[in-house]
Amino acid sequence: MVASMKLIDLVENHAEKIAAQWSKIVVKNPFTPFYHNKPAEKLIPQGVRFYRKFRKLFLEPKPVEASDGYFSRYAEERYKEGVPLQEAIYALILMRRQIWLYAEFQAIFSTAVEKQQAIESVTRTMLMFDYAMYFITKKYRELMKLEWFEAPNT
Amino acid sequence: MSGSLKLVNLIETHAEPIARQWARDVRKNPRTPSYHNIPEDKLVPVGVKFYDNFKQMFFTDKPADTSQQYFARYAEEHHARNIPLNEALYSLIMMRRHIWLYAEFQTIFISAVEQKQAVDSLVRTILMFDYAIFFISRRYQELIRQSIEEKLGVVNVLRMESPPGTKSGNYKSAIMVLLVFGAFGLTYYYHAMLGQNIIFTHLLYIPIVLASIWWKKKGILVAACLGVYLLLSHLLFLKGMTFTDDIIRAVMFLVIGTVVAFLSEGITRAEELYKPAN
Repeated sequence: MVASMKLIDLVENHAEKIAAQWSKIVVKNPFTPFYHNKPAEKLIPQGVRFYRKFRKLFLEPKPVEASDGYFSRYAEERYKEGVPLQEAIYALILMRRQIWLYAEFQAIFSTAVEKQQAIESVTRTMLMFDYAMYFITKKYRELMKLEWFEAPNT
Repeated sequence: MSGSLKLVNLIETHAEPIARQWARDVRKNPRTPSYHNIPEDKLVPVGVKFYDNFKQMFFTDKPADTSQQYFARYAEEHHARNIPLNEALYSLIMMRRHIWLYAEFQTIFISAVEQKQAVDSLVRTILMFDYAIFFISRRYQELIRQSIEEKLGVVNVLRMESPPGTKSGNYKSAIMVLLVFGAFGLTYYYHAMLGQNIIFTHLLYIPIVLASIWWKKKGILVAACLGVYLLLSHLLFLKGMTFTDDIIRAVMFLVIGTVVAFLSEGITRAEELYKPAN
């Protein structure tokens, strides 16, 4: 858990910087065209919110419930903004990647022992994101059902 | 790369047992209820197919291009089985987890050097799955859009959708002007000439519904216009008759116009959300 704490501290202390880097990537990534014309001032707070929430989601004893609440809200907000589902998901994937790029840049996992800790952190982060993918797609489906009065197969 | 090779070889030589473990798991996982009634024998080949393709996707120079085709097919097959996207994605996530559970069980990454290799394998597998999730979600949206367009066949003909200012936009305005003036004439004929307020008002729903389908909330204006005209005409030509019926009719014009406008907006909004990314 020490390595995970190291990662969490890094994310929390550098939330703005990581979010700013993410906003630069998401506005030009070919998989996220919806975001291409969005100003950085609107995107950065979105990233900061996620990175600030990271600690809570990461350390939550009941990760499923915590992820459900946070990522369902994320889905609702993106849905209201009219973001296509695959882009909402990919933008989140880019947020996750940005953590790793930043962590790598800061070389927080350099020694052999830290490599083992890195695996632990990656695995735990991935677990959180696995739930995220599930809850976001589920929420989009529910919202689309509401709009259509019937269940399209999402 | 040797660490990754080790992992890929493990998957290739043990595709069947890993797929079987995945099939058992997915048939009882609370997040994949659509798989619960699919027999294990039908699921195992799905897993085996994925694990067989793993090497190709893992070692390609262009992981996005290579995985796109495979995962688009994965989406098509799952969509055809009526499996919701969230479950199709979660079952794929479980496929990935089972690789790791199996690799861990086989303890292929023990030494310090191997730990470094494990990180590389992990990162590369995650990259592949990131693409998978994107391509599957996008293909599902495309497939849903196709089925929506099929279901909305008649409605789409009525919607006459095209960019503003183009021919069909002009046709819509011309048709609406004709219909509204037709409705005015009909109301005048029944009220002023025949002195009746009978069934003809049902015909007024044609311009009301069409206007709301075409122009959404702005189309409600046509309903309001016809409602006001109906009431004024009543006041002018049907002085001795009860006013309540026409008030109810005018209110119903607004209600129907509003409901259709919101439905039409919902269709457009859902279409926007299902639009392909590129």
